[in-house]
Amino acid sequence: MKRKRMMEALDQDIRDHIEREMQDNVERGMSPDDARYAAMRKFGNVTHVKEETRAVWSAVWFDQLLADIRFGLRTLRKNPGFTAVAVLTLALGIGANAAVFSVVYAVLLRPLPYKDPSNLVVLNETTPMVGTVSVSYPNFLDWRNQSHTFSEMCAIRGVGFNLAGVTQPENITGDAVSPNFLSMMGVRPFLGRDFDASEEKAGTSPVILLSYLLWQSHFGGDPNIVGRTIKLDDRSFTIVGVLPPNYRSLDKTDVMLPIGVWITDNSEDAKERGSRGDLGVIGRLATGVSLTKARAEMEGIAARLATEYPASNDQFGVALQPVRDAFVTDIRPAILVLFGAVMFVLLIACANVANLFLVRGASRTKEVALRIALGASRGRIISQMMTESFVLAVLGGVLGLALAVAGIGGMSRLIPADMLSGATVDLNSAVLLFAAGVVMLAAFIFGLAPALHLTKPDVQSELKEGGRGASVGAGQNRLRAALATAEISLALILLVGAGLMMKSLYRLLAVDPGFRPDRVLKLEMDLRTQQYSKDPAVLNFWQQVLDKVRVLPGVEAAAVGTVVPLTDSHSRTDMTMEGMAVPAPGNYPHPDVHIISPGFVETLGVSLLRGRTFTDTDDEKVPLVGMINAMTAKRFFPNQDPIGKRFLFGHPSAKNAPKWRTIVGVVSDTKLYGLANPARLEVYVPLRQNAASEMTLLVKSGAEPAALTSTIRDAVQSIDKDQPLFAISTMKELVNNSVATRRMTLILLGLFSGLALVLGAIGIYGVISYSVAQRTHEIGIRMALGAPRRDVFRLVVGQGLKLAAIGIAIGVAGALGLARLMSSLLFGISATDFETFAGVSILLALVALLACYIPARRAMSVDPTVALRYE
Amino acid sequence: MSTKEQRERIELLQGTLDLLILRTLRLGHAHGHAIAKAIEFNSDEVLQVEQGSLYPALHRLIKRGWISVEEGTSENNRRAKFYRLTAKGKRQLTLETRKWDKLAGAIARILRPAKQEGES
Repeated sequence: MKRKRMMEALDQDIRDHIEREMQDNVERGMSPDDARYAAMRKFGNVTHVKEETRAVWSAVWFDQLLADIRFGLRTLRKNPGFTAVAVLTLALGIGANAAVFSVVYAVLLRPLPYKDPSNLVVLNETTPMVGTVSVSYPNFLDWRNQSHTFSEMCAIRGVGFNLAGVTQPENITGDAVSPNFLSMMGVRPFLGRDFDASEEKAGTSPVILLSYLLWQSHFGGDPNIVGRTIKLDDRSFTIVGVLPPNYRSLDKTDVMLPIGVWITDNSEDAKERGSRGDLGVIGRLATGVSLTKARAEMEGIAARLATEYPASNDQFGVALQPVRDAFVTDIRPAILVLFGAVMFVLLIACANVANLFLVRGASRTKEVALRIALGASRGRIISQMMTESFVLAVLGGVLGLALAVAGIGGMSRLIPADMLSGATVDLNSAVLLFAAGVVMLAAFIFGLAPALHLTKPDVQSELKEGGRGASVGAGQNRLRAALATAEISLALILLVGAGLMMKSLYRLLAVDPGFRPDRVLKLEMDLRTQQYSKDPAVLNFWQQVLDKVRVLPGVEAAAVGTVVPLTDSHSRTDMTMEGMAVPAPGNYPHPDVHIISPGFVETLGVSLLRGRTFTDTDDEKVPLVGMINAMTAKRFFPNQDPIGKRFLFGHPSAKNAPKWRTIVGVVSDTKLYGLANPARLEVYVPLRQNAASEMTLLVKSGAEPAALTSTIRDAVQSIDKDQPLFAISTMKELVNNSVATRRMTLILLGLFSGLALVLGAIGIYGVISYSVAQRTHEIGIRMALGAPRRDVFRLVVGQGLKLAAIGIAIGVAGALGLARLMSSLLFGISATDFETFAGVSILLALVALLACYIPARRAMSVDPTVALRYE
Repeated sequence: MSTKEQRERIELLQGTLDLLILRTLRLGHAHGHAIAKAIEFNSDEVLQVEQGSLYPALHRLIKRGWISVEEGTSENNRRAKFYRLTAKGKRQLTLETRKWDKLAGAIARILRPAKQEGES
């Protein structure tokens, strides 16, 4: 306000001043005209003075910026076509970046909701046979007692319950934790109390914390929940509190209870050093202790325990990883590759927009020259052009964010939920900040080169000489050709990445999983209530389920079994083959064990290679039998028939009579741990000889199996109305989910590389058609001198293909280097797969050819007389 | 639009011109043209100020609160803006003058060190 008043006063002041000076001059005897002229000269540049004075009252750069933004917007409005193409191109680049970054941030960067998460370390046991395994409770206790590098250490035991009587019976999961767990993580209950140190011992009364979600869904967020009870597996648990809404754990946590409750219920497991159930350990490093130091200490402790308890601990080591790594899982390489890919897309988009700027700039060189002649400095014009770039980039960024919102939705559907480990992908302030950074960066990338180029003194001086000749465009054409070449190179690298992914996924899906997943439904059940505490009741329940389900309409076959391929549940144990050399305690064969009902092998579509499968007569009354998979047969009986040979679980002991099992059949290997992983040793035993309360029901149907879910559920609940069925999916879905990360990577890489291909093609098209337009005169002369149209066509296409060839060569070199970074995502092919590289190069060459075809046709149709007359 | 050279010249003059304006206004309030004339006259026309550059300087001094501006009528009964030294401006003038003397002395000693030696 003050500034405006002061500026108005200034105008008046200056007029007065000049008038006075003029009057003085007149009094000195000058003519009025001379007097005015002299006064004006003495005063100097009025506009300049006003500008300087205005600068006193404001930050002048801000005024200039506003003026430049207005100018930029005006220029962009005057070229709607240019603006639309540039904004859209940038929006695609910026939007893709923001969307992928939202995943990068959610999974890799967002701070975990714990106190000082960088000091939290996840500990596991390791064995050379399997790798990382769970920890036994006695080992955890020794770790905690003997280590000094950790200020605190907690055990976390995964637990499951059947929750009935509230809504439909359901299976819920949670953790039994050392009482100091929440305080160590820096998590405070939302309601109620934390666990007490006394709740670590056997005999702890059943108390429980609910997750925020469970509290909301099953108790309507009752604020007086503390002190109420919840019935799990027909036992009452006293609710002592509610976890905070942002509590984040690796797996779904519906409830949390003190480990003392688990110890009370599982006293054998808690004492058995060799029992490694679903128990993990997390510790907080003492102040100033590095992970390396902690690892060294823990390895020492593990080695001592291995010597002290060879039967259970020989060969067992310890693995430490920062808690962040435990959350990140296998998705890290995929999202880093995608992040690199969108950066490339952005670069290509920038190159394209820079090219557009140059084309438009060519028609603006005169304007620029004029402004320089009028005294504008080069810096001032560059800053004005950069402002225009920023305006364009901001427009692109705004539209890009709209695209990103859609993209984030699509991506979070593509990413398998378990890969996210509870991370929420959203458009948050970090993503917005990143997008703003990308906008700035993009404006610089695509704005600076054209601005520098168009204001280059030699371009300007040449122009002043009035030439329209080829020399003006030479430098610019070189720059534009370089940009188009770079686009081709980047597009090739992306296409190679997509090609490698596509081939990998194809190879992966072609892998024989060892079973026929078509039309098979799986449903899990866990018999946890008191009525199933005795084996006959358990066996009776499964028999009833099979009897009822097998007669349902549409059901072709049904069976129950433990350990279904491609799920997380595994059961492994040591095995002794009769007559084999007795190995060291940690070196026993360690197969996956399936406990199955008759018909399991047939329902799942596992092939019987030799002997027979189980029948209803393989029960407790007959000698123990078993089946082995092909790999086990090959390992132990390379040149013999395994049928009739015997094995036992665990190690032979002098104390007890050995429980030998006779091998009655050999079946094909199944890909238990994923299609990309090698097969392992597997053995099968009949349910009737090994009752198990946690089973998966497999149902093979004649049609779409998922439609059977509710009738199967009804059948099961007609036997036990409180028995939940959970983890329901088709085997086909399991197979698809097992490759979901790769599929997501392929889809997105395919999308990005397709985008890159289109942008690259537009880049080449732009360069070639512009050059044809520039050379109309030359082409006219050539044709007037008798050059056949074919030669003209070849000339133009040759020019484009030369660019493409250079781009492809550079791209191949780059891809050879970069594709190695994604080798962990590949399957069955090398990162330098010749077919992929050749195919992609040919594809790009063809696209380049196509992009040149239209301008080449235009060149051929040049009428020599018109072209010459035009000059 | 100003070229680089012009801006540098203003920058060089700035401090000096400010001082001259303050010095001129110590004798009483004056309008812009009168200030320009006074500077020219008092320096025996050695200092040829480009008159326009007076105005950014005046506004700078107003912004700093060293001078104030008021409406008034001039000698020939015309309305005009009069600039007047404020109390703050007076203090500043003393300060600036002392600083200027010091600087001028120092520069003189640097430019004519031999002569100084000869005198001592």
